[in-house]
Amino acid sequence: MTTSRRDQALAALQSFLTGAKKPADVDAATPLFADGLGLDSLETAELSAVLEDALGEDPFSAADEMPQTVGEVLDFYGASADAGESAAAAL
Amino acid sequence: METYDPAAHYDRVTEAWGLLLGEELHYGLFTTGEEPLARATAALTEAMIDAARLGPGLSVLDVGCGSGAPACRLAQEHGVEVLGITTSAVGVGAATERARGLGLEGARFEQRDGTANELPDASFDRVWVMESSHLMPDREALVAECARVLRPGGRMVLCDLVRRREIPFLELRSRRREFAVLRAAFGAARMDPLSSYASLASAHGLQVDLERDITTETRPTFDRWLANAEAHRAEVTGILGEQSVAEFEESCRILEAFWDDGTLGYGILAAGKPA
Repeated sequence: MTTSRRDQALAALQSFLTGAKKPADVDAATPLFADGLGLDSLETAELSAVLEDALGEDPFSAADEMPQTVGEVLDFYGASADAGESAAAAL
Repeated sequence: METYDPAAHYDRVTEAWGLLLGEELHYGLFTTGEEPLARATAALTEAMIDAARLGPGLSVLDVGCGSGAPACRLAQEHGVEVLGITTSAVGVGAATERARGLGLEGARFEQRDGTANELPDASFDRVWVMESSHLMPDREALVAECARVLRPGGRMVLCDLVRRREIPFLELRSRRREFAVLRAAFGAARMDPLSSYASLASAHGLQVDLERDITTETRPTFDRWLANAEAHRAEVTGILGEQSVAEFEESCRILEAFWDDGTLGYGILAAGKPA
């Protein structure tokens, strides 16, 4: 089974958070800013670059509106796990 | 990337920064651009003193007092009673020693947070915030606290690095290495427009009567800091390490470029609390 882009994005995000000494045990609802992960503008820029390096594109640069949660970042790379499994089954 | 601890950062570099930035540990206000750094840093302090309208017997709160040089100067030369506050225990110790060495009784120092200082309402005639606000992320809490502790008729004066234009996300991303170098050298600063300080002051009941951009006048500071790094290379490398000194020098060049392209600069603001 190949790793989905969503899984790759989650791995890249968690690696970034570990390097940034932020909690990496996130879920889809975890806010990226303020009382969530507390990313500042520079950290957001760095995460954006990390995701682009890993996956060729990133939601911070590509989307009209900045993602606000971990789930919104992951959604940029593909549907949620349940939907992904359904799609895989369909294939 | 490290989680930023302002006190620890300040403690680590206090001694070395004295060699790099000069005794007063802040930017200089240059008139001709040819004057030595010490005269220019004194001139910036003088501009703040003028804006504060100091007089003997007034009580002054120095928020983010560093090693206490400006506070001691205020007490010594203007006969004011100064309480300097900083989050750094080492800073408090250094400033207290400085005041003791000068035989000053009018300057004392305590470890407190400028954004939640726990001092009584209306307990100071002047609040002095010299180049410390960029290290206090909760800018509104800082200004609110300054306004709160001022007596009616009192004045707040503030000078600091400012952001002179919006930095779009994609530009920030493309220049992230430059900003990361600045953070490594100077700590996790955030620069706001001078006008945002003015807006906060107004929102907290102060009347702004001075809002001056001094970007051009502070620009020669970087040349002097680079010269200090060269002159004291062995000493500061011994304290900070080769990498930190290299980051400091690169930071000076990055800041020069930001100054020149209109991204960052320096401002001074004064506001009074209605009597």
